[in-house]
Amino acid sequence: MPIAVVMPKLGMTMQEGTVIEWPLEVGARVARGDTVLIIESEKAEVEIEATGDGYFRHIYVEPGEVVPCGTVLAALTEAPASDFDAEAFRASESTVAARPVVTAKPSATRAATAAPKAGAPATPAAKKLARSHDLDLDAIAGSGPNGRITREDVEALIEQRAALIGVGDGIRLDAPATGPDAGDGVLLLPGFGTDVSAFARQIPVLAEAYRVRGVNPRGVGLSDAPDSERYDIATAAGDAAALMHEPGHVVGTSLGAAIALELALRHPERVRSLTLIAPLVRAEPRLVAVIEAWCAIARESTPETLATALLPWMFSPAYLADESQRKRTVRGLAQTVARVGVEALHRWQAGILAWSGSREADLERVGVPTLVIAAGDDLLTPRAEAVASAIPGAKSIVVAGAGHAVMLEAPEAVNDAVLGHLSSGRTA
Amino acid sequence: MSRKLSFAAAINEALHIAMQADPDIIVMGEDVAGGGGRADQGIEDAWGGIMGVTRGLIKAFGPERVRDTPISETAILGAAVGAAATGLRPVAELMFMDFIGVSLDPLLNQAAKLRYMFGGKVRVPLTVRTSMGAGARAAAQHSQTLYGMTASIPGLKTVCPSNPADAKGLLLASIRDDNPVIFCEQKTLMFSQGEVPEGDYEIPLGQAATVREGSDVSLVGVGRTVHTAIEAATALAAEGVSAEVIDLRSLSPLDEDAILATLEKTGRLVVVDEATPRCGIASDVAALCVDRGFDFLNAPVKRVTAPHSPVPFSPVLEDAFVPSPARVIDAVRELL
Amino acid sequence: MSLSREDLIDSYRQMRTIRRFEERLVDLVTAGKLAGFLHLYAGQEAVAVGVCQHLDDRDIVNSNHRGHGHCIAKGVDVKGMMAELFGKATGTCKGKGGSMHIADLDRGMLGANGIVGAGIPLTAGAALSAQIKRTGGVAIGFFGDGASNEGAFHEALNMAAIWKLPAVFVCENNLYGEATPVEFVTPITDLADRAASYAMPSAVVDGMNFFDVYEKSGEAIERARRGDGPTLLECKTYRYMGHYVGDPLTYRRKEEAEQWRQNRDSLETFETEALEMGLIESDDLRQIDAEVETLLEDAIAAAEAAPFPQIEDVLTDVYCVSE
Repeated sequence: MPIAVVMPKLGMTMQEGTVIEWPLEVGARVARGDTVLIIESEKAEVEIEATGDGYFRHIYVEPGEVVPCGTVLAALTEAPASDFDAEAFRASESTVAARPVVTAKPSATRAATAAPKAGAPATPAAKKLARSHDLDLDAIAGSGPNGRITREDVEALIEQRAALIGVGDGIRLDAPATGPDAGDGVLLLPGFGTDVSAFARQIPVLAEAYRVRGVNPRGVGLSDAPDSERYDIATAAGDAAALMHEPGHVVGTSLGAAIALELALRHPERVRSLTLIAPLVRAEPRLVAVIEAWCAIARESTPETLATALLPWMFSPAYLADESQRKRTVRGLAQTVARVGVEALHRWQAGILAWSGSREADLERVGVPTLVIAAGDDLLTPRAEAVASAIPGAKSIVVAGAGHAVMLEAPEAVNDAVLGHLSSGRTA
Repeated sequence: MSRKLSFAAAINEALHIAMQADPDIIVMGEDVAGGGGRADQGIEDAWGGIMGVTRGLIKAFGPERVRDTPISETAILGAAVGAAATGLRPVAELMFMDFIGVSLDPLLNQAAKLRYMFGGKVRVPLTVRTSMGAGARAAAQHSQTLYGMTASIPGLKTVCPSNPADAKGLLLASIRDDNPVIFCEQKTLMFSQGEVPEGDYEIPLGQAATVREGSDVSLVGVGRTVHTAIEAATALAAEGVSAEVIDLRSLSPLDEDAILATLEKTGRLVVVDEATPRCGIASDVAALCVDRGFDFLNAPVKRVTAPHSPVPFSPVLEDAFVPSPARVIDAVRELL
Repeated sequence: MSLSREDLIDSYRQMRTIRRFEERLVDLVTAGKLAGFLHLYAGQEAVAVGVCQHLDDRDIVNSNHRGHGHCIAKGVDVKGMMAELFGKATGTCKGKGGSMHIADLDRGMLGANGIVGAGIPLTAGAALSAQIKRTGGVAIGFFGDGASNEGAFHEALNMAAIWKLPAVFVCENNLYGEATPVEFVTPITDLADRAASYAMPSAVVDGMNFFDVYEKSGEAIERARRGDGPTLLECKTYRYMGHYVGDPLTYRRKEEAEQWRQNRDSLETFETEALEMGLIESDDLRQIDAEVETLLEDAIAAAEAAPFPQIEDVLTDVYCVSE
């Protein structure tokens, strides 16, 4: 039996809601409780969960549309290809009156989607708490009405900061871990101007068998942003090493691959295997120019504008051809890039330029099992395959037709390749 | 041991208990017995007050102690003050709180101030029972909620119970308090039922009660609005919002500690008051929160009150006048 | 009416004390030593003293803004009263009340009162107490011609009459309600006539003559004590001074006051009639005059030397606090 996803009635006075995002692809497997839809109502974004298991089959209402409570928005079916008449199903479901559902608790959902805004109002309780923990209110996203920062928002930040990990010199990084405690460790290093969410499609898969830790480097997200002219790749490698108490697998993309490479060269004993996705070894002119544009737009405009500008550099034409996919991707990417401040961008830019090309000659010294994943249509790091040939014993695959953001564009291919490499059994 | 009694019956029981124990307690007011002087026709005690609250008292305690008065609010309250100052413990009835307009002086300038002006050398152990509040279609001059006025007068105390058990205990405490106490009886609560303990017990003045525990928002009510708040809290619970409900019970003295404690607990407070909005209890509570609970505030303090108008007659209008659970819920939503 | 020598001496002393107390207050106000509103009783002494001579510890007196005379006649301590007017901590009311609110329930004085007419229901209440507690006491309420036009007057008299309360309502008609002559605001000449509306006995009394007041109030008090209910006494009298100290008295002719002082003065009338009774000598009275001066001098000196209340006393006695 197909399952309808309807616009819920959250409380007595709600009349209508806006569809904001369908986070899943059509055809994706859905378990009861998975977030299947994001809506907005009365200034709050709320995640709607699937009420049963199935496959995400059909979307009736696109993001941006405002519909009354009870409107059928999408359908799940038992199997990806089971018999399904979309219009008939919708017609049959539309007679069902919307019933009130449990409202998500205040702030819990909204805090995840809001971005900090300098000068936002804050409640007295929030101010006091922030003061007592020496926190800057400008760095806290407000989930209250009019973007007001509430005590819950500050508490959430305190909780998150409590989870920060020291990497030496008083620096603490946000490096959340997931997956079984007993699993082998996998360290994830994201690219320039992004954070661990770049691995959103990889983490759930890897975390089934591995203890996965994503690293938000200096200046990214909740991690400390120490004052310095440059964030050095070598220092970042030291930070990453400090997070590894035992030898583990290291996976990096773009700038993160540069850091992973540095880590493997300096601390080979820590690295059981190395995976370099669209790696940066030498910053080509186009990459240098894109980074300059990235910094300029981040300085002068909004995260949405920045994301819109980055899209053509990160994704393939085939991916970009789907308009609603572009819009969805811009929204998600905007939230990611908003988590890296302008100062941090400049410092990483300087770090990249200082390091660029410096390790080309040392590639032949990499002594850990290495996999290079190249994207076939990568405009920013086009010479990834060459990296593989320079590293002794390295394997490589090319994901045909994918852009620089291959992890997002072709997640299954990337996941399969990584899993294969991690389990290949060859240890250092 | 307890049994179900109406609000009115609980007050009647309190009066019986008090008058039995203390011969100085007298009851005086318009029609508190009814049929005055017609005992021989068997119709003395015809009314027992407009809500029947004082029925049976004249039979138990006699016409000297249970007095039907002329329609002379100034003389009723003034004589009650004079009697209280000279050894009696009168329970006077101001039939409708609206009539305080006719007779404010005995309360404002006499009862409230004699002790102070006389350097502490007199006490005025007077209780004024009075019927107040909207909802009975009694229209503008018989439906007002004026406890904010009396609560603002130094020297007076003002209480307003929300349920029969509290009504009995608070009235016994009020009568035995050596200060002038205004005891408010919300009209629409008079026939509400509740478990009432037997025997003699008092509920201290100046002490609020937590009638429902919660963690997300505090709803502060008094009298009828306690029930409004509870209804709202129940509906909010179905939406996953946990509301705490505080019954003030006493407006002067006000349990400031209870208000600040619940604010500290939840950080969000809505005060529900059926009085009109200017210069009233709702503003008093809100000011207290901002003044002494500033760092606890995680949202503005919301006041849900009647509108700034007289009480309308038409049932549709009166029902819109009185704060409703829906309005309380809307206020809560603004805070989350 | 049988007044003993002691009664006469005592009555004169009280009247003289009232007269001189009020006159000394004028001096003190002129010297800038007293604050607030003072309403002086000089001229009306015969009423207060004539009535209060019948009273004992069971009885309650209630008065109005012009209450110094009633306080003194009921036995409130003169020193305490003076200190109260100075606003000192040793005042009868610890400095918390002032002229219009002097009270001492130990002496059965339920207080002067600043609200015109407000004391009349209080009087009914005190009588109600006496009735229910069977003390045998009576309640006396003093008020003016102006107050007899207040609603409170009518309500209280009606209630007292129907409940047969042991009260005596003494209306001191001094011909002026503040700055307005009584005939301008009252359609009747004898305010005592109002009692008929309440089926209440009444009498018109020569308020400048102690002996007339004494006789007629004696009857009323007796009536009340035996349970036959209240009486309204209208005492025709005159206040020598303004409504308040500082009143320019522009609403009446100087000659009128002089007439009353010269021809109807209560102290002189008393002296004349008392001497005729042959129980006292004029020397006795001059002796009292001297004693009264000394009393007042001492009271003023003590009041001036006494401390003011502590600031914390602003908040004391707002409420009765139980342990």
